[in-house]
Amino acid sequence: MTSRITIDPISRIEGHLRIDAEVDGGRVSKAWASCTMWRGIENILIGRDPREAWLFAQRFCGVCTTVHALASVRAVEDALKLPIPPNAQYIRNLILIHHALHDHIVHFYHLSALDWIDVMEIPKANPSMTASLAQSLSSWTRNSPQEFKSAQDKVKALAAGGQLGIFANGYWGHPAMHLPPEISLLGFTHYLQALEFQRKSNQIVGILGGKTPHIQNLTVGGVANAIDLDSLGTLTMDRLEMIRSLIDEVIPFVHEAYFPDVCAIAGMYPEWFDIGTGAKNYLAVPDLPTDASASQFDLPGGVILSGNLAAATKFETAADPDFRRAITEDSTRAWYKGGSLHPWKGQTVPEYTDFQEKGKYTWVKAPRYAGRPMEVGPLANILVGYAQGHQLTRKWTDLALGRISSVAKRNVTVDQLQSTMGRYVARAIRSAMLADLAVKHCELLTNNILSGDVATHNPPQFPKGEIEGVGTHEAPRGTLSHWVVVKDGKLANYQAVVPTTWNASPRDSQGNVGPYEASLMRNPVADPERPLELLRTVHSFDPCMACACHTFDPNGQKIASVKVL
Amino acid sequence: MSKVLIAGIGNVLLGDDGVGPFAIKMLESQFDFPESVELADLGTPGLDLPVHLSGADAVILLDSAKFGGQAGDIRLFRKQEVLKIPPRARIDPHSPALRESLSFLELMGAIPGELLMIGIQGSQFDAGATLSTPVRHCIPHIIDAVRRELHRLNVWCAPKESVTPPGTWWDSLRPKAASKALWR
Repeated sequence: MTSRITIDPISRIEGHLRIDAEVDGGRVSKAWASCTMWRGIENILIGRDPREAWLFAQRFCGVCTTVHALASVRAVEDALKLPIPPNAQYIRNLILIHHALHDHIVHFYHLSALDWIDVMEIPKANPSMTASLAQSLSSWTRNSPQEFKSAQDKVKALAAGGQLGIFANGYWGHPAMHLPPEISLLGFTHYLQALEFQRKSNQIVGILGGKTPHIQNLTVGGVANAIDLDSLGTLTMDRLEMIRSLIDEVIPFVHEAYFPDVCAIAGMYPEWFDIGTGAKNYLAVPDLPTDASASQFDLPGGVILSGNLAAATKFETAADPDFRRAITEDSTRAWYKGGSLHPWKGQTVPEYTDFQEKGKYTWVKAPRYAGRPMEVGPLANILVGYAQGHQLTRKWTDLALGRISSVAKRNVTVDQLQSTMGRYVARAIRSAMLADLAVKHCELLTNNILSGDVATHNPPQFPKGEIEGVGTHEAPRGTLSHWVVVKDGKLANYQAVVPTTWNASPRDSQGNVGPYEASLMRNPVADPERPLELLRTVHSFDPCMACACHTFDPNGQKIASVKVL
Repeated sequence: MSKVLIAGIGNVLLGDDGVGPFAIKMLESQFDFPESVELADLGTPGLDLPVHLSGADAVILLDSAKFGGQAGDIRLFRKQEVLKIPPRARIDPHSPALRESLSFLELMGAIPGELLMIGIQGSQFDAGATLSTPVRHCIPHIIDAVRRELHRLNVWCAPKESVTPPGTWWDSLRPKAASKALWR
């Protein structure tokens, strides 16, 4: 029997992603990822002053504000070949690290943990056993039996009242849920604790950026933070110490709660290392530059094709010549005019049909790298780093694989990270790395200021004539690039190629499916009415359609509908 | 003194969706508030919302809404009313996050004691458009609703002696959309 499942919307935030899957004999045989709202917000930038573009770009998406702001100023700086002072690099890096940590914590605990944790099993857990288990996994200070009991009581109270509140939508009792109650309680307790650490991470962004969610301190050529160690209202030693102490509070949560939780849960679901392999091509750009001209980076970038880690190539710069050349956006199967164009020549002219399986079916264009669909995001990040022998990547990846293998009682390899569960693990590895790098970049900034360098800004000069630039950022959901064409000091074209566009991309003129679509193939579906397995795979990418297109839902719908074909 | 958060929610680049942040900028330019009151343009924070709401004793949210009224109509929703909405139904483009955020904070025992959501019916949400005329005209009514709520909460707010220019930098967008939004 073949059935057709339509999931719309899938991301529990403001998503307008729709997934259609045909299920045949309990497995997905065909899949389509479609975005249901028009994306053309870049058009509003044409004709504007490139120096103010970042303010608008920051509003493309409400969840990833800083990442668009950063990619935008980097794009203009690239066009001008304008280096920025080291202080500006470090301040930007600290902002992007803490934005990413905040975002990854939210993704794991608040968007996806309950795809794996059956909340209704939590009342069965023994809090003391949970505490001994937790203490064997890490030295997190808030793993006491009292912490676990108090979290369990919250679930018991909800269940007793018959009002499940925030849990009213879960697929509880689903056959694909099989964590021991103690691990469920462990993860759930940290789900409750996570809010505090999101807030602290966010505070760091606020101190450096002036405000959150919309930072105020960027400028083309650097940052607007004034540094004067003796003056209030600027970046003083007091503020640097405040940032450092917040970092010291956030790091243990990442290293001793989030990372071990993901390893434990992944070890209990080893079958998910064999499900959800995607496009098998991976793209990541280098990020966290450590010098003014951005020639050295703390996070590596590069390309892996056909899942072959041994043949990985490396990007030396944030906008490598290969990267500049090789990207196109294909509109063959998307609701736009035009075929396959380079972003600098990109157009955003709508041509709406209906959802046509064999024709156009989405508002997302299909970005391609040398003609290939590419997966971006933490998994691409980690695989590219691991393949290049990047030390920090190897340290945390090997640690994760060791822990997972010991829980699973089977050997889980780096190649098996190319899977649904691998994406969750990669995000936890990346977070652990970023937590290490937070300390490093805070020290780089402090030491540079103490050495007497207080410069934060190089003023831009716009030439007559036409210049092109690309600004990249390895954002929480993956490679983000903003492409600008500036003519006589005004924006002549602006295209944002966002991570979710790569991952949620549709088929292209060659018929190649996008990464979401590829990853859903062969996914098991135990109960088409409750397609938990499909949610797990799609959530593993951390979809954020808010930047691929914006929120508008004319009516509330149930999560999934099923039609027997 | 109890902490009050007045927050605008919505995307300023999408026509009437940006009415909340717009009203926040108008409030900032026209009134003085005690230090215990924070005004914030939160954009479209989705599930980041709990981070911003937690810690406040009272919250006043300004957001575009769809409740079947005329453009520019205002409807007030209290905390209990928001919590009663069945999961997945939306009272506005971001309500899944609002409802989820409140339920989450309730579970945490960190839900603000008072919450008023001032919903403004929008009419056009096109990329690159500014506020529609009826929504622009209702801004004084939104401000009145905020002042009444502050009064009820025993929090003062005084008209400024000289009004500062509002920080609505995005209002240089075209009055009509760059392109018509389409959705299914």
